[in-house]
Amino acid sequence: MLLDGTALGLQFGLLGVGLTLVYGLGGILNLAYGQMAVMGAMVVTLTMRAGLPAGWAVAVGLLTVGALGLLLDATIMRPVYRQQGEHRVLLSLLLTLGVGIVIDGLLMWRYPIGSLGLDIGGAAVEIFGVRMRTGTLLASVISVTTGGLMLAFLRMSTLGKAIRSVIQDEEGSRLVGINPAAVRRLIFILSGILAGLVAVTRSMTSPVGVNAGIDFTILALIVAVVGGLGSISGAFVAGILLGMVSTVSAFYIGQYITTIVLLAAAAATILLRPTGLLGRNT
Amino acid sequence: MLEVSGVATGYLGENVISGIDFTVGGGEVVAIIGSNGAGKTTLFRAVCGLLRPTAGTVRFEGEPIHGWPTHRISRAGLAFVPAERHLFAYMSVKENLALGAYPRRPRPVDLDLVVELFPRLGERFAQRAGTMSGGEQQMLAVGRALMSRPRLLMLDEPTTGLAPNLADAAYRALATLRQSGLTLLVAEQQVPLVLRLADRGYVLENGRIQMEGSAKELEQDPDVRRAYLGVT
Ligand SMILES: Nc1ncnc2c1ncn2[C@@H]1O[C@H](COP(=O)(O)OP(=O)(O)OP(=O)(O)O)[C@@H](O)[C@H]1O
Ligand SMILES: [Mg+2]
Repeated sequence: MLLDGTALGLQFGLLGVGLTLVYGLGGILNLAYGQMAVMGAMVVTLTMRAGLPAGWAVAVGLLTVGALGLLLDATIMRPVYRQQGEHRVLLSLLLTLGVGIVIDGLLMWRYPIGSLGLDIGGAAVEIFGVRMRTGTLLASVISVTTGGLMLAFLRMSTLGKAIRSVIQDEEGSRLVGINPAAVRRLIFILSGILAGLVAVTRSMTSPVGVNAGIDFTILALIVAVVGGLGSISGAFVAGILLGMVSTVSAFYIGQYITTIVLLAAAAATILLRPTGLLGRNT
Repeated sequence: MLEVSGVATGYLGENVISGIDFTVGGGEVVAIIGSNGAGKTTLFRAVCGLLRPTAGTVRFEGEPIHGWPTHRISRAGLAFVPAERHLFAYMSVKENLALGAYPRRPRPVDLDLVVELFPRLGERFAQRAGTMSGGEQQMLAVGRALMSRPRLLMLDEPTTGLAPNLADAAYRALATLRQSGLTLLVAEQQVPLVLRLADRGYVLENGRIQMEGSAKELEQDPDVRRAYLGVT
């Protein structure tokens, strides 16, 4: 159960990182985030159905959500970037909510019973004397690798530092010669890919249905809040922690109550530690 | 090196500065002096592209740069250190300096030069910028700007929030930069300090340039003495 919790938590972490990166752009909350994830999963399903091998289908799916991120940045985010402060937050909420509803509507209309289940879950493998399902193992390996790469990229590479600099002080970043528009574009692409990736890894242990969008968004929001909105490492740590909490609570109390437990965790964070688990840090 | 002519700009459709003409020659140190609200910051933001001029032209090394985005102006060799510094508070001193060189990798020689100018920064490489004192942050802001090897360095009230001895130290560092041949444009309310450093200066009042002259002329002008040097 501990392993299951960690595996789930790693995915939660990635989900939170994708949302929190975009939030770093002056408080933009992307409420279409979960729908983007589901759309990635659906593209994978359709591509596989068209006969492509799973690996290729996943690549196509992730590229599609990346492109969707790019599209959002180039279209409906334009007026959002022109606003500052509360106006930016509110406008982003309204517009992305709309986009989410549109994606939801399209998916449910076209594929009312569609779902992505990457079936590698069945057979159990044994590592370090612990039995683990193949799907769980693969999902964890992918999540750890991606998370590690993301953190290394953001902390160590020049481009990664440029991304963090825009999040920390946009005016400062412009003064040193960074083009914030290019960074925003990159963040939206990365965020889309992360969302899609999490939907794919989730589907390795249980099917991801067309209507799962809103659940992904809520989950990402909770993780990002507990990690301290805008904090990348915080989101990752919060994800792992909440993954454990979620697994334990789902086992002893039940799936439905688990969402409430997680929401309570987020609310408690805001009340007790508004800067998130690790404090403000990008 | 820098030619500003007829520049006007402001906020929410209202010009707060207008008809601004001034020049900065290569290797010169030029001061813009003016009291609170005169429009110094507004003028500097217009030059470096953070505010779009509603009229007039700005030429840097012959190129018209008005209308360019800030990052392009910065890459062209015009660095601006704002009074609020705009450091990356959650990054280390070293990371801040490294980003100063963006999009290039920081050159070790440049790092050495900055540390030579501000030994304090060298001792604090790993410290987070946001946890440094006001004086140290000012050094870091100047150091970060230098990392791009600018040809013109603009500073908006570099003594903001500094105790008198630190303000003196800041100006000693600027004098060292001047000696190395760097062109400087400095906005300042602490007129005696800046006039000791500058070759020439302009007096900005109510959004217009009211007077110009060599540092010596300005120092001896009765109006300037009354308004800014505390002489009655
Ligand atoms: N963001 C803004 N929105 C509206 N008006 C502004 C804004 N910033 C400055 N102003 C106004 O423009 C005028 C010039 O301000 P500016 O900051 O350029 O003066 P300054 O010479 O830099 O003053 P100080 O020495 O206090 O820094 C002031 O009347 C100020 O109220
Ligand atoms: Mg000012």
